[in-house]
Amino acid sequence: MTQNPYIDVLLNALLAVLFIIITSFGLGSLARYLAKWTGASKRKQESTFAGYLFASPWIVGFLIFVIIPLGYSLFWSFTDYRVTDNAPPNWIGLDNYAQLILKDTGFRSSIVNTLFLTSVGLPVMIAVALFLAVLLNQKTRGERLFRMAFYLPVILGFNTAVLLSWRLMLNTGTGIINQLIRALSTAFPPFSYLTRGIIFIQELISAFFLGISSGKYALFNRVLEAGLPAANRVPLWVESPLWSKMSVVLLMVWGCGAMMLIFLTGLNNIPRELHDAADVDGANDWQHFWKISFPLLTPYVFYNLVVGLIACLQIFEPIYVLYRDNQPLVPSAISMVYYLWQASFRNFEIGYGSAISWLVLLLILMVTAIQFMLQKRWVNYELY
Amino acid sequence: MHTAWLIIKRIVLYIFLTGATIMMCFPLFWMISSSLKTLQETNSPGIVLVPAHPTLAAYIEIFHNTDFLRAYFNSVFYTTLALIGTLFSVAVVAYAFSRIKWPGRNVVFFLMLSTMMIPSQALLVPQYVFFNKLHWIGSFNPIVIPGFFAGGAAMIFLLRQAMAQIPIELDESAFMDGANHLLVFWEIILPLVKAPLAIVATFLFVGLWNSLLAPLIYLQTVSLYTLPVYVSTLYNINSAVQPWPTIMTAAVLTTVPLMVVFFFAQRYILEGIVISGLKG
Repeated sequence: MTQNPYIDVLLNALLAVLFIIITSFGLGSLARYLAKWTGASKRKQESTFAGYLFASPWIVGFLIFVIIPLGYSLFWSFTDYRVTDNAPPNWIGLDNYAQLILKDTGFRSSIVNTLFLTSVGLPVMIAVALFLAVLLNQKTRGERLFRMAFYLPVILGFNTAVLLSWRLMLNTGTGIINQLIRALSTAFPPFSYLTRGIIFIQELISAFFLGISSGKYALFNRVLEAGLPAANRVPLWVESPLWSKMSVVLLMVWGCGAMMLIFLTGLNNIPRELHDAADVDGANDWQHFWKISFPLLTPYVFYNLVVGLIACLQIFEPIYVLYRDNQPLVPSAISMVYYLWQASFRNFEIGYGSAISWLVLLLILMVTAIQFMLQKRWVNYELY
Repeated sequence: MHTAWLIIKRIVLYIFLTGATIMMCFPLFWMISSSLKTLQETNSPGIVLVPAHPTLAAYIEIFHNTDFLRAYFNSVFYTTLALIGTLFSVAVVAYAFSRIKWPGRNVVFFLMLSTMMIPSQALLVPQYVFFNKLHWIGSFNPIVIPGFFAGGAAMIFLLRQAMAQIPIELDESAFMDGANHLLVFWEIILPLVKAPLAIVATFLFVGLWNSLLAPLIYLQTVSLYTLPVYVSTLYNINSAVQPWPTIMTAAVLTTVPLMVVFFFAQRYILEGIVISGLKG
């Protein structure tokens, strides 16, 4: 092992390439031998060899980086394995799972927070993406520029740099977002009522979700009794447990460009004749959208829902950058992956972390399966 | 009356589009603007959209910060290496799934698609232990090498869709002339999927450049930190005053490569080639 990290990784990359080439030839030859053994034609033997030769980088990687790790983590999830002490893992049966599901309040918070993101954040995100797609579909001038602007956040993504820019903007006292809200509220009193209404509803929802995760609804009652907040109230984006999740939702909605692009493809695939026919019948824009476009877009809504849900379960960066080490806020914001990171790589509880991994995995598979079962009821594939 | 209504609708449309554009680009604008401010201005209680006296002090400071410069180099280095390995192996595997008929192809393809459901984070723990056994913790290996094994099922799928659209007669005539698969892959197929390759390369680049979790877990030492990990350390929740101009300068410099790549790739990405295979 060399001391220079750059040369080290270059050497290892070279070794990896050699390893891949050797295993590929090995796998290809094995496949050819098997084909010969089953009595395939010479031509078929050759294509079998070539197929496995070309596919084996993935096959080998799948075994090394997916199947074997999954097997190990399944085993460890039933043990008390810790990576720091060199003791071998002890079998403790279902203890990790029982602890996680029944007792661990941190894990419960992470599930409830994810529920908030998927039930409050995701619908808003999809609605905004759809709205922007419909706007862009009106064949405007400078369409490309608008598309670029809407897609830009997807490229910037959850890069730490961009998240810190948001952190600066979301400052409660001096952040630009609250400054603008204050300025607009002073200038137009109706705007003040609007923001206060939104603040009230948002805090009510957040307090309710905090109630689910803690089992105590005192905060919810307090928010409800306090009623409409005072005139000078502003959102407490990254300062209050009532707002920590909403800030993440804001970031999600900001990054809705990928979904928008998918909706735009969907809108383009709708046959022009359908809208022409509706025009003859005197349909207005509203009817055009709800009677024609939306039903035909449901496959795209479904796709975005499936992909978005999986993405929600995996959110990590915003929580790490915005709330790491901020003890009062962490439980109100942590996602499942953040909790996984905390247990596995801060406390090095490999057994426990493995159990979390498996629960996350099962949850994603379950939720996706449910979505696929429910899709028959509302997704419209007839035209395709 | 009718035309007046249409004009009003048009105006409202443009107002909405412009408003949304401003909101979408605002964080970027704010980043740039704040990097040119003084510390007092970033914490001022008034609205300072553009600093009255822009200062490059933060830029000068950060160019003397060796940790930042090294993190920048590390990011460029690891992204390039991982990108080359991943792009090449993904293309090779996509070729196997689209241009060769072999027994078991459908099964393996289905397996590959189903891995899209497995969140990479669910594999972090056992992979960490595995890399620990290899003594790879505290090196670039864990964030570079796995990509060489065709990491990224979605990318394979995307390239496969593109390759499958090329008429098979092209390969057959090449085989008649005595070419082999390697030659067909390199000389015929790859040049025909340049645009999808550009898209895949862009997505891979963005993913690697923005990646935080894996570098955070595996790199461990400051001298190896990539930009996202290093920049996150600039913001310290426990200190009373954050050096916002410095942080925002680092942020601007971090996003520049993303902007450049996006500028060149947007023509491919925004035309929606990516999702043409989605229907149904």
